[in-house]
Amino acid sequence: MAGKARKVVVLPCSGIGKVFGALARETAYELVERVRPGVAVTTCLPLLVIQDPEAKSLVTENPVIAIDGCPKDCARKSVELQGVKVARTYQAINFYKAHKDLKPEGISELDETGRTLAAIVAEELGEVVDKLAAEEES
Amino acid sequence: MDIQVMKVGIVSCSGEELPEGTLSRLACRKVLTDLRPGETVIICLPLFIAGGEEERGFAKKYPTITVDGCDKMCAAKATEMLSGKPVKSLLVSDMLKKCDLPSPKHVRNLSGEEQEAAQAVAREIAQAVDEVLEND
Amino acid sequence: MGEFLEATHDKFIFKVKTGCLYSKEDLWVRIDDGTATVGVTDFLQKSQGDVTFLDIIESGTMVKRGQELGKIETIKAIFDIISPVSGIIVEVNPEMDANSYLINQDPYGAGWICKIELSDWEGDRKELLQDSDYFEIMREKIAKEAK
Repeated sequence: MAGKARKVVVLPCSGIGKVFGALARETAYELVERVRPGVAVTTCLPLLVIQDPEAKSLVTENPVIAIDGCPKDCARKSVELQGVKVARTYQAINFYKAHKDLKPEGISELDETGRTLAAIVAEELGEVVDKLAAEEES
Repeated sequence: MDIQVMKVGIVSCSGEELPEGTLSRLACRKVLTDLRPGETVIICLPLFIAGGEEERGFAKKYPTITVDGCDKMCAAKATEMLSGKPVKSLLVSDMLKKCDLPSPKHVRNLSGEEQEAAQAVAREIAQAVDEVLEND
Repeated sequence: MGEFLEATHDKFIFKVKTGCLYSKEDLWVRIDDGTATVGVTDFLQKSQGDVTFLDIIESGTMVKRGQELGKIETIKAIFDIISPVSGIIVEVNPEMDANSYLINQDPYGAGWICKIELSDWEGDRKELLQDSDYFEIMREKIAKEAK
């Protein structure tokens, strides 16, 4: 029975007030552009709130990974407000806690250390993307 | 009990999917930190949407300017939906056209030209802030 | 009186929980049967940012008022937590290892830091502030930072 590869939607919170929002965003871009291009995709979080039909069907028809900056969990909550349960949820603050030697800085734009951390984490999350993307036809 | 002078709230689209979203974010931060510090407050759109008490409370009491990356106008619509109509709704492409600058191509690692475009957009937003404060 | 005294600056609402005592070093104290529960105030957690790591002196250790209880690391800084009371630390919040963010999320509740069995309450209470007095000190700090 062949597995059918799905898209995996990666939604960062993109919080504009903290470095962890920038880290969440950069990690999502690493997944979408470099680590799993063509499989990991993203969309704009606020499109869900304004009931954009394309964004809504993307998160309804594919598994969603929410990458939040902190435990306020804005990305996860925004998806769940649409009646969709996220498949996996992460907090970028924990990315730093797991890699204490890579302290990210920069809110508008991550510094080089932050980009390095995002790249490392994205590699780790690549396997999660693979797992979610693989789907057995029943 | 408020310790407050009049400030303008700026709500940027988070625009993960398009370069104009990243440019909007960068430009809004420049307004906050460089161009109009002490006169502006950044409202985090995702937190605003997810129910952030402080973000919504500020937007209800003080004038807001929204900055959108595309004509879906998420920041403007979400602000109106959740708090009240923004005083000004700006669109990055309109501001770039006014400054005769091309659209950005990168969602991250902006080029020198794109950084300059962000600076130009920031100046446009700062002007809008001035207009709001003058009229208040 | 409500549960909190509140001061607003920009979009931030700084809360002081009523019924607690406070130190000038921005810690709160709640007394229950000879034991003080201690935590950091909403003002302190908001000023310092998201807590990433917490390093507190072990249970069983004697501390004096004014002595360092430990350190909190946030994305912005590492700062000392100064004990507002004297006594023996009988418990450190077990949630802090995995969920240090509780300090940001619920500084007066689930984000408590440690419990201290008091050894000099009569001496300590003279140095602590009522909620309304701390509220005024907090407002001054906010106004100073705003300049």
